[in-house]
Amino acid sequence: MSGHASDHPAPAILAEVKPAVVPRRELVEHHRDFKWITDKICGIVEAKTPTWWWVCFGVAAVVASFTVSGLIYLVSTGVGVWGHANPVNWAWDIVNFVFWIGIGHAGTLISAILCLLRQKWRTSINRAAEAMTIFAVVCAAIFPVFHVGRIWFAVFPGYLFPFPNSNGIWQNFRSPLEWDVFAVSTYGTVSVLFWYVGLLPDLGTLRDRFTAAGNIVRARIYGFFAMGWRGSNRHWSNYEMAYLILAGVATPLVLSVHTIVSFDFAVSLIPGWHTTIFPPYFVAGAIFSGFGMVLTLMLPLRAIYRLEDLITQYHIDCMCKITLATGTMVGYAYSMEFFIAWYGANPYEGFAFINRAFGHYAWAYWIMIGCNVITPQFFWFKAIRENTTLVWILSIFVNVGMWFERFVIIVTSLARDFLPSSWGYYSPSIVEIFTFFGTFGVFSFLFLLFIRFVPIMPMSEVKAVIPAADPHAAHQP
Amino acid sequence: MKRKFDHSAPAQRELTGPKYWRSLDELADTPGFREHLAREFPEGASEMNGVDRRQFMRLMAASFALGGLGLAGCRRPEKHILPYGKSVEYTIPGLPLYFATAMPLRKAAIPLVAETHQGRPTKVEGNPSYQPHGGASSLLAQASVLDLYDPERATSHTKGGMNINVADVNALLAKVSSTYAGNGEGLAFLADESSSPTRARLVGRLKAKFPRAIWAEYEPVQDEPPVAAAQAAFGRNVKPVYRFGAAKRIVSLDADFLHAEAGSLYYAREFANGRRVAKASDSMNRLYVAESNFTLTGSMADHRLRVASSHVLALAAALAGKVLGTGAFATVAAGLDFPNKDKWIEECAKDLAEHRGESLVVAGAHQPMQVHVMAYAINAFLGNIGKTIDFVAFEPSSASTITALATAIKGNSIKTLVVVNGNPAYNAPADLDFAKLIGSVPEVIRFGYYADETTAAAGDKVTHLAATHYLESWGDARTVDGTIVPIQPMIMPLFNGLSEAELLARVAGEQNPDAYAQVFLTIGQITSGDGKKAFEKFLHDGQLAGSAYPTVSVTLASQKWDFANIPGFTALSKDNLEIRFATDHKMDDGRFANNGWLQECPDPMTKIAWDNAILISPRLAQELGIVPHGNLLQVARKEEAEYTMGKENARIFEVSLNGRTVRGPVHIQPGLANYTVVLPLGYGRTVTGHIGTGSGFNAYAVRASDGQAFATGAKLVATNDHQLLANTQEHWSMEGRDIVREANLDEFARNPAYVDGIGMESHSPPVLGKDKDKDPAFIASTTPRGNSLYENPNLDGIHQWGMSIDLNTCIGCNACIIACQAENNIPIVGREQVKRGREMQWIRLDRYYSDGGADAEAFGAEGNKVLPEDPQVVMQPMTCQHCELAPCETVCPVNATVHDEEGINTMAYNRCIGTRYCANNCPYKVRRFNFFDFNKRATDALYMGPLGHQKDVPELVKMVKNPDVTVRMRGVMEKCTYCVQRIQQAKIAQKRKAGASGDVEVPDGTIKTACQQVCPVDAIVFGNIKNPDSAVSKLKAQERDYAVLGYLNVRPRTTYLGKLRNPNPHMPDYSALPLSRVEYNKKNGHTEHGVAPAHGEEHGHEAAKPAAEHGGHN
Repeated sequence: MSGHASDHPAPAILAEVKPAVVPRRELVEHHRDFKWITDKICGIVEAKTPTWWWVCFGVAAVVASFTVSGLIYLVSTGVGVWGHANPVNWAWDIVNFVFWIGIGHAGTLISAILCLLRQKWRTSINRAAEAMTIFAVVCAAIFPVFHVGRIWFAVFPGYLFPFPNSNGIWQNFRSPLEWDVFAVSTYGTVSVLFWYVGLLPDLGTLRDRFTAAGNIVRARIYGFFAMGWRGSNRHWSNYEMAYLILAGVATPLVLSVHTIVSFDFAVSLIPGWHTTIFPPYFVAGAIFSGFGMVLTLMLPLRAIYRLEDLITQYHIDCMCKITLATGTMVGYAYSMEFFIAWYGANPYEGFAFINRAFGHYAWAYWIMIGCNVITPQFFWFKAIRENTTLVWILSIFVNVGMWFERFVIIVTSLARDFLPSSWGYYSPSIVEIFTFFGTFGVFSFLFLLFIRFVPIMPMSEVKAVIPAADPHAAHQP
Repeated sequence: MKRKFDHSAPAQRELTGPKYWRSLDELADTPGFREHLAREFPEGASEMNGVDRRQFMRLMAASFALGGLGLAGCRRPEKHILPYGKSVEYTIPGLPLYFATAMPLRKAAIPLVAETHQGRPTKVEGNPSYQPHGGASSLLAQASVLDLYDPERATSHTKGGMNINVADVNALLAKVSSTYAGNGEGLAFLADESSSPTRARLVGRLKAKFPRAIWAEYEPVQDEPPVAAAQAAFGRNVKPVYRFGAAKRIVSLDADFLHAEAGSLYYAREFANGRRVAKASDSMNRLYVAESNFTLTGSMADHRLRVASSHVLALAAALAGKVLGTGAFATVAAGLDFPNKDKWIEECAKDLAEHRGESLVVAGAHQPMQVHVMAYAINAFLGNIGKTIDFVAFEPSSASTITALATAIKGNSIKTLVVVNGNPAYNAPADLDFAKLIGSVPEVIRFGYYADETTAAAGDKVTHLAATHYLESWGDARTVDGTIVPIQPMIMPLFNGLSEAELLARVAGEQNPDAYAQVFLTIGQITSGDGKKAFEKFLHDGQLAGSAYPTVSVTLASQKWDFANIPGFTALSKDNLEIRFATDHKMDDGRFANNGWLQECPDPMTKIAWDNAILISPRLAQELGIVPHGNLLQVARKEEAEYTMGKENARIFEVSLNGRTVRGPVHIQPGLANYTVVLPLGYGRTVTGHIGTGSGFNAYAVRASDGQAFATGAKLVATNDHQLLANTQEHWSMEGRDIVREANLDEFARNPAYVDGIGMESHSPPVLGKDKDKDPAFIASTTPRGNSLYENPNLDGIHQWGMSIDLNTCIGCNACIIACQAENNIPIVGREQVKRGREMQWIRLDRYYSDGGADAEAFGAEGNKVLPEDPQVVMQPMTCQHCELAPCETVCPVNATVHDEEGINTMAYNRCIGTRYCANNCPYKVRRFNFFDFNKRATDALYMGPLGHQKDVPELVKMVKNPDVTVRMRGVMEKCTYCVQRIQQAKIAQKRKAGASGDVEVPDGTIKTACQQVCPVDAIVFGNIKNPDSAVSKLKAQERDYAVLGYLNVRPRTTYLGKLRNPNPHMPDYSALPLSRVEYNKKNGHTEHGVAPAHGEEHGHEAAKPAAEHGGHN
């Protein structure tokens, strides 16, 4: 992507109007050069495994085992081990699914949309964000797959997948759940491809460095995955094109996945689910939560590996501002839902929203409002954006708030729908609490492997945004 | 075992004509093509490893062996077993056989037809040839099949806990017979009540043989009016048979004639007939109910007066005084007080007087005889006798009482006690301390279906004789009007049980008594002519024609009754409470405690399953300081505090009465008399199976001989304990929604289509557009459904199934729930799962209270912040509505729930993966999910899954399953299917019958769903809505027909007929609109009672008279 901005000659008019030069924040601070960047990023992979990594890895594995054992218990005994019951037939399972899928949005958004929009600040965070996306999709996929009553029919003979079968029964292509199958699997596939293609040059670099260091085993492994990357002009040309195409393919997916997830609710007729605002509102919420999670992950990483020169205050500012923007959009959606409920004059819908804010689950609603609407407003203030610790804490609030948003939507709407006789109250069982808690272990487990074995930033792209990469840099003042 | 065939390509030289290739491969002459030619079957087919005959036999040997063992599962009379090679007479494998029988219960048996599959009864239905019941049966009858297969019934005769064989039993009975022969001194019998002529005959023989023996009968609850009342009023042994069908004005004095009284099936049916309304000009009966408990009868009342049971006598006296125009009863009526008392009584009396000969006053069986005498007097005065009430002559039981027996035991004069059925150690009056008494008798022979408290109380010396179930014994019984009905065995006794007739005959000294012969003898004595033929007809018809008690004409002896020992009037208060001991809706007196279907069936009023509770009024709750309040954050809901996390968390209270106490959870029940505490009987069993153990508290513990139905002087003391109750309905208010649409009869007369003026549809364009007023058949068959991108079946079958439920006649008796459970193999889930809301019953009865409150603002928020003291109640059977545009179908990802071309929303269980999306999207919330393997696992080990102690369905329990219905496994969604198995059977039968004629349309009325069949009031009608002449089409064409949540455009096939009330405008509690309508109007921003005419017309609302305020209701 190097030097695209400079490929075109400046229009002649510029000379006449003489626009003031807007100082651009440097994306890599302290005038770091190519070698420093390579050494810094490869160094993380090449260095001896630090003790803290082993500790975290062990903890993550133990926590992940909660999910594994929770699922074994679930499948062997029945969905009843969770807290679901009539009328709340979906609860934490789908809440967690939407939560994790939402988190998975930031990565591809950063990689694809910001790539197409030529937002150069994306370079130092996109690799980790994409990895986060993939791992979040893995965590998300656990829930819809395992929440069904008979997983052995859902997955093995593939009732959910359009394989031809002897009964001649096809899937129900009207069902939003079926759309989910396609949307999420497509999103997962494209995200993995996108991430992997972006990795190729860096894997080549690592292969070369391990070869030079005489570590043949690792050189072979990285060499295998580098797919013969030699960095030739032709390779770069193909690579750039492939990356651009994938960015183009991934861009609509960012919007479509959560739109389709929102259809699970919007297409139904349950008051509180059946609203047309859901698709944009869900996408905004997903980006909001995704950036929240990126901040949650990148800030500690930046501190541990001393990456302040690569993930600069400018990066944090940008992410905070996106969080602020999407958080405000989500807040707008919350208020618009109330307006439409009143304006629509449907007593069932009116009740659903009043009940959300003031009913049995009011506590969840106000946690949601506090975390999602109020928290991001702090990002109006520069002082707060520059206080890394505070930003990190606020990002946690964003994550919590977005989990509660899904909880509020799913559980409060189901708990009190049309006929008061069947109203109920849902509370989770210990099994589903642990199963959900365990997915953080699954996520951390994968993410720790990622930071240990994969270059956490795209070296080639980061190098491309430093002044040294700009062929015109010499002419600039 | 590949076989090679030589299909070599023809030699080049043989070809003379142009050359054609079978494929390009042949031209290329590839090795693959040669291989293809050489094979007998294409690729893949001949790869299968050949299985030769020997190998096949080897593989299948185990299966053959198991198959042979499996055949041994069927039970049928050994003498008659024939190989199916020559077909067993009558039996067509796969088709059920039906036999007439009857379920005995105290003095009023229910005539039944039992459905048997290959020799095992699986379901009972009411015998349709017994006219008064019209084919209906009760929930107890429906559930009784499960008792037959109860693994915890007494499965063998025991002595001191050790099994003894039949010969020992016979020897023992012979010994008793010979020891006491001629005298009977020291011998006593304690039996339950029975209507059996055979038993009466055998008891006569016993009395002849043992003249000094005691024959006592005891029933813990009274369900027939006391004979003493008839003696006092008419001077002869008669009992009333009410003709509710002819009554226009009915007053119930604490009588739950729709459920708890003997003959309730007949009465409910007749009552509903008097309430059935088809068009605006139809009339409807009016029901006044004065009662302390909130019974099903009270729920149907047009005017309901909450009055303590002990005050009913005063009320009866006041009413009788007013009707008869006499002051003679003024002293009895003294002290009675309730708001607007004089006006209430005056207007009620006036209404009765205006309907001479077509009014009826009924007194509760448990009320003292004076109340009955008053009621008889009113009926006589109004000329009702012979019109709405008949008196039949009958021979009352001459048995001794349990009190007399207890005295004899205390006097050590009883050496041998034979307890025939019943369970006196559990349910005898507490002051007798019968459990202890029975332990002091030297020899106790206990004949019972369960080894229960009585068996246990008798100690080690007891001989327990295992009784047979009525479905495995010969017997006879009488219905409420005296008609004799046969009890035929459907199956050989599963556990070598002894039938009652055989037991009594043996004690009477017969050597080889045969229950069949005993019944034959009894019937032979009644019938004349060819005994055998008459007996066969009796068995076939299921009743003995003309055997009903004869109606006799009676005249009121005088109006001077001996009211000397009238119980004094006691004013009640928080510190002097009345206790009403109520027969439980499901447990009856406790005999059904180990029946899982009944335990799990929610009480129709409290909606509590698996337990009983101390029921108190909201007023008393307030005075005791336990009025619930929600937390501050919950502006929208002041939910009763007992509900924490969706579970009823009831406070434990201690009830004390005359020094006896019992502890139990308190449930605040709207509609109770303020200071009456209701204790449902039948719970707190200690010696029973694992289903009944630990269920509720034993109210018999505080019930003494002098207050068996109600008693005053009780106190309630709070404890700090709580208990979670399995309440299936947490929310009592309809929230001003348009779910049950009610009107008063006068509004209906003016605006028969009042249902169209209610609900979202009244504000929106008609859901079906211009087709709205077309008949159902047109809408069902021609409104396009298909022609879309997706393959929806067009609804073009020759049948289009639909159902109509009349909310005006539904009495909420729950029988449909159990009938459905029996028919459709619905498992029970246990108390813990019901608490979580995972009950599986396909039908639920929604019960809503309304008090006209709904005081919150119109938009959104919930109203009705406090439990109403005196609500109106509505019941609504809710099950799958079979929506034509079913929202469950569109969301199922795997097409497991789909429509068939006859309009049924079907479930393909095998396809279901259990996403539960359909249940979420069902607006009626009628889908049920198998959260665990409820059929396979024990309810107490559900969370242990495969590690639990029960690996499979117990063999005995398997036998109750309907073989025509799939038993669902875990992870599968299920719901009402309109009894699709019955539909298919009827269609097959019709196709066979039609033959070449092609007339395959099933005639109307052939198919009855299980819920429809059991319904005593015919509230449920099912049929083909494509046929405009079918019963269901006619009901749906009525103007009262509406679809619940019709505005969603899901077009349910089950629709409801709106409920009507018939209040008396002169009564003080008159409301111009039913209270749920008042709430609806308030909630939806309608001017109170729709005063503005323009508004009313615009929306099709009925503009009620503004003067007709609903005020005055207290």
